[in-house]
Amino acid sequence: MSDDAIHLVRDVVDHEVVDVHQLPCGVVDDIELDFVPGRGFRPVALLLGPGAWQRRLPRWMAAIARWLSGSDEARVPWSEIAYIGERVALRKTAAELGLGGADRKWGARLSRVPGA
Amino acid sequence: MNILELFLGILTAMGGFVEVGELTFAVNAGAKFGYSLLWIAGMGTVGIIVYGEMAGRVAAVRGQPVFNLIRERGGFDAGLVTLTAATAVNVLTCAAEIGAVALVWQLLADWPYRLWVVIAFLVLVLSVWVLPFRWIERVFGLGGLLLVIYLVVALVEGPAWGDVGAALMPNVPVLESSQQYMLYAYYAVALTSSIMLPYETYFYSSGAVEDKWKPSDIALNRVIVMVGFVLGSLLCVSLIMIGSQFFGPRHVEPQLPGVVATSAAAQFGTAGLLVAVLGMFFAFAGAAIETGLCGAYNIAQFFGWPWGKFRRPREASRFTLTWLAVFVLSAIVILAGVDPVSVVEYSIVFSVVILPLTYLPLLLVANDERVMGAHVNGVLAKVLGWIYLAITTVAALAAIPLLVLTHGGQG
Repeated sequence: MSDDAIHLVRDVVDHEVVDVHQLPCGVVDDIELDFVPGRGFRPVALLLGPGAWQRRLPRWMAAIARWLSGSDEARVPWSEIAYIGERVALRKTAAELGLGGADRKWGARLSRVPGA
Repeated sequence: MNILELFLGILTAMGGFVEVGELTFAVNAGAKFGYSLLWIAGMGTVGIIVYGEMAGRVAAVRGQPVFNLIRERGGFDAGLVTLTAATAVNVLTCAAEIGAVALVWQLLADWPYRLWVVIAFLVLVLSVWVLPFRWIERVFGLGGLLLVIYLVVALVEGPAWGDVGAALMPNVPVLESSQQYMLYAYYAVALTSSIMLPYETYFYSSGAVEDKWKPSDIALNRVIVMVGFVLGSLLCVSLIMIGSQFFGPRHVEPQLPGVVATSAAAQFGTAGLLVAVLGMFFAFAGAAIETGLCGAYNIAQFFGWPWGKFRRPREASRFTLTWLAVFVLSAIVILAGVDPVSVVEYSIVFSVVILPLTYLPLLLVANDERVMGAHVNGVLAKVLGWIYLAITTVAALAAIPLLVLTHGGQG
């Protein structure tokens, strides 16, 4: 493997994801792979959110986590990645990719508080 | 480098060094074992300098704070264990600091303790809501500098300088029983933990991102950490000396911050008492804010939420709601009647358990030339980093057995 090659586990999984404005919009919790006969596996999407990270937990912990945080999961097509560096940067805004919905929902409620 | 910024950074690091756990453990360590634990203060200070500098440098180069690295390098499972433990310790420490602020205010007006807890909670939440990050750092860090009164008290009391110098070298005093040796080891571990509290590294690196540090700020980071933390550790050293010189001979083992302040009153009367009380208020309130914010920083960084005081609360809503929740939980713990000094003892001991889990990912990233480039750890930082990782690992393994064997430090 060349030095420039991307190591999916080392360089992508568990790395912060930022949108086109550098706004944090999650962490890569899992990667969806596609099997191409004769060529092996290729990554097709990033999976983010409680539904994705809960699969990495023991069953009893996943049940508690599901109760606490729900099981929403976002799928970002691999083609939406602008570059992979210290963070995984996306080509579009978080809202366009269906990310950060919880922050927008709570943000709308908080905006009624003076100083928010 | 802006000289004013450097000066304020140093003073803030110094003033923010002491919190209620360090205050009680340092004074009691002096009262029980004389100067003999001074070397632990020196050793702990070098440790927090090594890892504080590393955390600031990594944040300046990569723009990423500690909990991003814990998840990135430790993976989800190990990271989640660290996050859970760190959150529990943050809530306990924040609870202890809120309780300590209430105890300090009770010295000024004899209102019911729980009323002071509620007032302290409201003042802290309002301060975090209203003040920008830089002003939070400065107001509470600079206010904490009033604790320099303890340094003056320690010097005025006339220390035995020969003994102080000897105690700065690693030593174990001759004690009467094996139980006493265990108690000495317990205090050594607790004092190390109170100086190297993990939240200090979380807060420092998150602060570097809040202040938008760049690689050009690495020199600033180095000077602030080295000078500010060394000056801050002088406060810790002076508290051990006061314990040895003032409380030890009187057979007093201070459990409450107000009792510690009597040493200042004995030297400088009411003015000394007031300065000590005000200094403790700023130091404890600053620590409460740091731990409250750290609870939210850690969770937000682990899950990749927008975070930071540089964003408006509505733009980082889950981060904002999380620090509010940490303050509410902490206040509930104290309002339930839990003694803040007991809480702090447990939070200090459990803090040491998560130190290696915090430091290892940080050390791995700072050692990695691929991600740090020219700012990778040098030989000295690497060697000291591994030595202190070993020291904190031994302390982490010994902490809970010592807590049990010494009946929570009671001997």
